[in-house]
Amino acid sequence: MKIHNTRGGRVFDAVNYVFLALIGIITLLPFVYVFAGSFATEAEITRRAFFVWPEQFTLGSYEYIFATPAFTRALVTTILVTAVGTLVQLAFTVTMAYPLAKKSLRGRNVILSLVVFAMVFSGGMIPTFLLVKDLGLLNSYWALILPAAINPFSLIIIKNFFQELPAELEESAKMDGATEIGILWRILLPLSKPVLATFALFYAVGIWNDFMSPLLYLSDNSKWTLQMYLRQVTAASDLLGTGNVDPNYIPPEQGIKFAVIVVATLPILIFYPFLQKHFAKGMLIGSVKG
Amino acid sequence: MIRRKLSLAAAVVTAAALSLTACSGGDAPAADLTSVSIMAPFLEAQPPGADGAVQKKLEEITGKQVKINWAPNASYEDKTNITLAGSDIPQVMVIQGKSPGFVKNAQAGAFWDLTGKLDKYPNLKTTYPDIQQNASVNGKVYGIFRGRAPMRTAVMFRQDWLDKLGLQPPKTVEDLYKVAKAFTEQDPDGNGKNDTYGITIPKWGALGSNSPYDVIEEWFGAGNRWTERDGKLVPSFETDEFLQADRFIKKMVDEKLINPDFATFDSTKWNEPFFNGKGGIIVDVDSRVSVLINLFKQADPNNFQNKVGFVGNLEGPDGKLHAHPTDGYSGFLAVPKASVRTEAELDKVLEFLNTLNGKDAGILLNNGIEGVNFTVVDGKAAPVKPETDASKAVTTDIKSYAQLGMNVAGNQFYPVKQPTDYEQQVFDKRTDVMAADLKSAVYNPAAPYVSATYVAKGAQLDNIVADARIKYLAGQIDEQGLKDAIKLWDTSGGDKVKEEINKLWQDNK
Amino acid sequence: MAAPVVEAEARAANRPPVRERKNGRFSVHFAHYKWLYLLLLPGVVYFAVFRYGPMYGVSIAFKDYVPFLGVNGSPWVGVQNFTDFFANPDFPRLLGNTLILAFLNLGIAFPLTIVLALLLNEVRLSVLKRTVQTLVYIPHFLSWTIVASLSFLLFALDIGPLFQFLNNVMGTNIDFLSDPAWFRPLIVLQDIWKNTGWGTIIFLAALATVDQDQYEAAIIDGAGRFRRVWHITLPAIRSTIIVMLILAIGQMLNTGFEQIYLMTNALNREVADVFDTYVYFVGITQGAYSYSTAVGLFKSLVGIVLIFGTNWLAKRFNQSGLF
Repeated sequence: MKIHNTRGGRVFDAVNYVFLALIGIITLLPFVYVFAGSFATEAEITRRAFFVWPEQFTLGSYEYIFATPAFTRALVTTILVTAVGTLVQLAFTVTMAYPLAKKSLRGRNVILSLVVFAMVFSGGMIPTFLLVKDLGLLNSYWALILPAAINPFSLIIIKNFFQELPAELEESAKMDGATEIGILWRILLPLSKPVLATFALFYAVGIWNDFMSPLLYLSDNSKWTLQMYLRQVTAASDLLGTGNVDPNYIPPEQGIKFAVIVVATLPILIFYPFLQKHFAKGMLIGSVKG
Repeated sequence: MIRRKLSLAAAVVTAAALSLTACSGGDAPAADLTSVSIMAPFLEAQPPGADGAVQKKLEEITGKQVKINWAPNASYEDKTNITLAGSDIPQVMVIQGKSPGFVKNAQAGAFWDLTGKLDKYPNLKTTYPDIQQNASVNGKVYGIFRGRAPMRTAVMFRQDWLDKLGLQPPKTVEDLYKVAKAFTEQDPDGNGKNDTYGITIPKWGALGSNSPYDVIEEWFGAGNRWTERDGKLVPSFETDEFLQADRFIKKMVDEKLINPDFATFDSTKWNEPFFNGKGGIIVDVDSRVSVLINLFKQADPNNFQNKVGFVGNLEGPDGKLHAHPTDGYSGFLAVPKASVRTEAELDKVLEFLNTLNGKDAGILLNNGIEGVNFTVVDGKAAPVKPETDASKAVTTDIKSYAQLGMNVAGNQFYPVKQPTDYEQQVFDKRTDVMAADLKSAVYNPAAPYVSATYVAKGAQLDNIVADARIKYLAGQIDEQGLKDAIKLWDTSGGDKVKEEINKLWQDNK
Repeated sequence: MAAPVVEAEARAANRPPVRERKNGRFSVHFAHYKWLYLLLLPGVVYFAVFRYGPMYGVSIAFKDYVPFLGVNGSPWVGVQNFTDFFANPDFPRLLGNTLILAFLNLGIAFPLTIVLALLLNEVRLSVLKRTVQTLVYIPHFLSWTIVASLSFLLFALDIGPLFQFLNNVMGTNIDFLSDPAWFRPLIVLQDIWKNTGWGTIIFLAALATVDQDQYEAAIIDGAGRFRRVWHITLPAIRSTIIVMLILAIGQMLNTGFEQIYLMTNALNREVADVFDTYVYFVGITQGAYSYSTAVGLFKSLVGIVLIFGTNWLAKRFNQSGLF
């Protein structure tokens, strides 16, 4: 794709690159501040409104949050639960999306309507909790994975992607005697890598950021995930419960808040570039055809 | 599941009559309690581990296996509700306050009514019956309150500014005005620019939340949320003193003695103008004095003394001191009926709490482990230096364990020895000033009473007046507008709240 | 019209006539599709158990729910919560504020996501493309508390850099944080900053499936940059856009709670109160769980009507909808 060497094209490229670079900086700067703040003293954070590197470097905040093994354990737990959970949820979603992409399947519209309905209506926190309890999933990591196994929104989008794929691919596979499961596994999934990567990311982030499930389903503190800690330091002080803030309570220093945010955000940020290569352009239908 | 719910509901209906039956509910006497489960909030960045030194020591002192289910403070109420809906209910629950949700659960019979039951346990018998009354729901004690120093109001100011301008610390609200004016107009930082102001007030929502507005109104004599006028309780904002106080604050706003963005200023940044030499006065709880001093100390360890000065409550225009106290407690420890079924079991749990509230446990929960993270010097707990991994872990953990302390008969632990002589002097002065102010404290006479209408719509009602107060100060409405808002509070349901509160007040007098 | 588009249409027409198969007996149909039904099974079980199992919880809206008494043990109150809600003098204001914010988000934030995705798609410099893609999605991970405190910093009265810049440009002296007229622009701006980058991901995935042959053919035909975007790229992701739009419309009353709550103050509350903050107030602060569930149920009803309505409209105009 080299043919865009018109003058207008070059000007557009230049403007576009500068614009996007600016957007990149605007989105990055606050995180840089948080990162720098996590290595700064409270006095410096109070004195300087914004900085990208502290004058006085300190590891105090990290020493504080890693003073007990709890944080490290939560980090490992979160990574494991996210990895397993993403695979399970993606598997559930894809297997359901594939048949629903077949317009000729009977009962399809009923099921899809019910899926959309479930996207909008939910029974609420407490009945879901009782269900999880009755299934014996309390204090189990499955409680963080199974209740959210299929996101209706993701299901519908993935179904639509399957629907968009050229039908002749399947037809020819069928001629060769492939079963539906074989078609899904050998043809559709390899073709859908960008989509699968996208929803792997969505599910991973969903589990990673999930705060309510561990709060409700894991009463054993040693099983907690990172969000339980993160939420505590990032919730606005006047959001705390009912406003009954203990007067003896002195909120954690800003630096500690920043350090917790860094520890809880960095791993998932690092995850993205690994998926990104699957978003590479043109590896899809074009390459299959070619 | 459903059946259990229904049987509980039935139990509630006849709760009073059943209390005797419940005593002998089980034929066998309650087995000895070998373990106790507790649900408690943690407010730090992380909860303590289940295998920490504090945990082990706690089990040693109480002789029980103690299972603490820590829940993040940020969503504690959600966790409480979900826990009560399930079947795995702890034997003791820390409740953070008389939230409408708690009141509903309590009145439906979720918790033991401990009224009159606590006095036979030496460490649970309170020496502050007023505070126990404040923490009750219309006189019914649903939990053992967690005592907090009731007097905490202080006025902090830049001592170096005061010295430079040759002023005296304020004693009256009129002095406060004068100091604020001097801080604004007389270039207290000596940089030749007109870039300072007097008082910093952050965005602060609700009524009766110990905001600087509430405090100043109380100093003027408006009372503490409710006040008695002509034999009736009326909300503070229906008094003349309230309007007088707000006129006083408005004057300071108009003369730019208060930060102009008081309606939106981020409360997490409250220390910044003070520390950076922009705004010289803060009206808040006295513990902020230490936080401020620490900031100066961190910035310059050799020269941080005499940056922060403070006084307690200020005299009103009537020449009297109406000091502003809190309700003196921060929630309570309640015992759910679903997990503690008989009086005999309740007795065991209360015995455990009695131990938990004793001196040994009190020191453990608040100071830590002697010899590990602190030593006793002159009757004070001095942190062990240099810190070791073990001492750090204990120091971190006790910030959460302190949530279990009740101290209904005063603090059962050592005061913390401050790191420098100067800080020790400041700390001692704080203690003295607060003790002196406590004698002039004006309490909220309606604290124990929970009005049904207020539970249902109080937060929205209060917003009407709280917003009008800010709008008035910002100059968006005039005094008539403020009065109209107060009328609107009445007609939107406030009249009913007043009626209910007065009835409860009369009945319990 | 460029050749590739014609080709795409031809391909669509070549699809097997699906309707005919529906007329057979079900057992035949089932036997034919047994593998598909087997694949469908785990998902159906999931929805039955985890989504519809707890659905009895909506009954809370018709009760006076007390957590201790449980869903079944709490007393019924009929439609009391709904009549209270609609009779509430604040209702019109809440509805108005919610709708205005919803339309601003749909009208501004939603198209911007597509624009950003298209701009990213036009980048040939892969280092820049990858870097920007990674950077723009960072804000999604910062909590609203951080976003709010950042806004307070930028728009701080007299000293905030954006306060100074904007007021200089406009020659005004506006306190953006408390001026009711600026509340909505601020909220939309925050939304754009936090979520636009993240939102592009799904469109970028859709863009990755665009057949590259079409571009080459179009270039040979002499189609310029914008014509290629207009005639190839956009049509290729049209169905994704429509689905996303339908879903966004279905969620439009969910303006979010935390963001708005943090930006609300006494001076702008008139325009700031929306259903979600109201639900927080009555549900959490006042413990009226049933009442807040009723409000939530009302929102869900509106949402479902909007989804099926827009889906029907999309079908009317021969577009692919949700199903």
